[in-house]
Amino acid sequence: MGEGVAALRRDLRQLVHKHVPPDFLGAFTDDPADLEVAQSFCRTLADLGLLCMAWPAAYGGRDATPWEQTVVREEMWAHHEPRGAQYMGVNWVGPTIMRHGTAEQQAQHLPPIARGEVIWCQGFSEPEAGSDLASLRTTAAPDPETGGWRVSGQKVWTSYATMAQWCFLLARTSREQRKQQGLTIFLVPMSDPAIEVRPIPSMIGPHHLNEVFFDELRVTEADVLGTVGGGWAIVQEVLAFERVGIARYARCERLLQAAPAALGAEWDQLPDELRSRWARMLVHARRARLLAYRVVSLQSGGRIRPEDSAAYRIAVTRLDQESAEVLMDIVAGASLPDEDGRRFRRAVEDHRRYSVSATVASGSVEMQRILMARSLLAAR
Amino acid sequence: MNTELSEEAVEFGRTALRAFEAAGGDQLVQDAEREPARRAELVEPVLDELGAWELDPRGGADELEAAAALCKAAGWWALPYPVAERLCRPTDGSTDASTEGLVVIAGTEPGPRSGPGPAAPVAGLGPRWSTVTLDGRRGLATAAEPVGSPRYTAFVTELIPDPIPAPVPDLPAIDGPADGLADLALGLVLPCWTLLGMLDRAMELARAHVLAREQFGQPLARFQGVQFQLTDAEVERVGVEELAKYALWAVATGRPEAVDDALALRLAALEAADLVFRVTHQLHGAMGFCDETTLSWISRYSQPLRRLPLGQAATRDHLTQRIGRIGLAGPFATQLEVQPR
Repeated sequence: MGEGVAALRRDLRQLVHKHVPPDFLGAFTDDPADLEVAQSFCRTLADLGLLCMAWPAAYGGRDATPWEQTVVREEMWAHHEPRGAQYMGVNWVGPTIMRHGTAEQQAQHLPPIARGEVIWCQGFSEPEAGSDLASLRTTAAPDPETGGWRVSGQKVWTSYATMAQWCFLLARTSREQRKQQGLTIFLVPMSDPAIEVRPIPSMIGPHHLNEVFFDELRVTEADVLGTVGGGWAIVQEVLAFERVGIARYARCERLLQAAPAALGAEWDQLPDELRSRWARMLVHARRARLLAYRVVSLQSGGRIRPEDSAAYRIAVTRLDQESAEVLMDIVAGASLPDEDGRRFRRAVEDHRRYSVSATVASGSVEMQRILMARSLLAAR
Repeated sequence: MNTELSEEAVEFGRTALRAFEAAGGDQLVQDAEREPARRAELVEPVLDELGAWELDPRGGADELEAAAALCKAAGWWALPYPVAERLCRPTDGSTDASTEGLVVIAGTEPGPRSGPGPAAPVAGLGPRWSTVTLDGRRGLATAAEPVGSPRYTAFVTELIPDPIPAPVPDLPAIDGPADGLADLALGLVLPCWTLLGMLDRAMELARAHVLAREQFGQPLARFQGVQFQLTDAEVERVGVEELAKYALWAVATGRPEAVDDALALRLAALEAADLVFRVTHQLHGAMGFCDETTLSWISRYSQPLRRLPLGQAATRDHLTQRIGRIGLAGPFATQLEVQPR
């Protein structure tokens, strides 16, 4: 990473300092003001041309280098993702529409994403189709009246569905020999009355988990992304965009580094064994960051293999949970009397709650192990 | 920050692997254990042929990377020779130029011959060694005569430090603490590359074994319990590889926190070694204990690298003391935050 990337990091920190309140712990809380912070911050980033840096200039982006994109990921996640749910539109919905969308779809969807004005949700997982996604049952049946389809079925764990305006929906349009065939992506408005969203209360906070029910939702050819029956290939691309995924290590590293200052004089009273676990976690955080950089580097050179990204994902999700355990131990016995200290405790507790999902979200750690083992044990 | 090894260094590592193989490969450590007096003559010709001693790891990134690649190749074959320690020998005349190499020691007090105290796997390879302590003090030591069979010592012998001369008033020190710390960082990092080569080999041996060995009518590799153990060990191994490249970059660029980076690498390498050898032994079953398997040799000869100068717990404690409240360098280091929140 060069000076340009370091300057970008400084700029992003200044922006966060200026526009995001110090108590901000993410957009998805019970306080609607937090969501407004995220919406407003996205508009600020968009005005400065920083929201869609990674996009090609032809679509209003800056053709940012992979390392600039990495710094954006790190800084946003380290500061509790002040883009809120927008990161999905920016990171993969927009780029996927660029690759597979029609001119009309691009004109309709890309500008609002680039302006930070729209939230998307991902309609993939179902009650009977989690890791085995291709087994999904949501069906788009031909609609003789319109020549389109009627979608019925249920999605689950759908983050941000309560606030999303659009859904990137995967549904079955035909039964074929292989279950990966006959799947189609539809871009559907969440405002349609045939869609019902039911929030699932959970320990990781509001808005993260929802059920979404589709009851005869009418869609047409114009809503199809790519080709009918060609959805699985697009899903694979979406998952490829998530290879590096969110930079979990950045929040771990930032909280770990901040711990001594937050505890002040109490830091020196901690048991030696606990400070030694803290030092060990710092090493693990650096290790996860370097593994992320390795994936970025290999991806840029076109040399990425499935086991490379899987190794990173396994390391970073484990780090997320183990660092949360160490940090919780650190704040457990500390009085943290001042506002900075209380803020640190809340951030650690939030980190701990969210970390429980790290080894499940965006593909379970077991799937990563299976993927990695397949590559490791393949014939060479 | 570019931590990738140069293509030249990678190619040099491949050349070294082939050269060690041609010189005997796995047989080298077995022959050296059987005839310890022949250890130097078994290994030194191939190192000479490779031009190992023309490398100056302090002479720039290219030579340091080549040295690291050589250490890794030596680890792959459990080469019965302290390649990293020899490569680290001081060349600035600050200590006796006739020493055999540089060894990081945990203290300067002699220990009981079978217990803690300065020691290194340098038995029978010349008496005089440069040393550097974990707080960066340079010194000299004499290697004791080997006690016991290398089968049990893995060529580790005691180092007897020279008395530290009393400081002479009004005379500048021969070298400042910065030089000693640079030696320390280098002396910690290169042996980790040797250990990395051993981890690479152990993983490759386990991989080949579970693909070939059949139970219940199918290769062990088909069992998910086996697969998951292997992937967890591989995550550790590849993590060490990245930290090793990072620490090498920190040494090459003379960063002030290079010792912290070296200790961070060492801690991760020791943790990884525990898991990698536990898993690879388990997957080999009883065969892994037998001398007819290479794993048995690699596992035994990894021990000096993992115990000296400090084992895992002591390395972690030392790192914790060094980084104090500051933590490790990086984008989220306390002093790099642009604004207090």
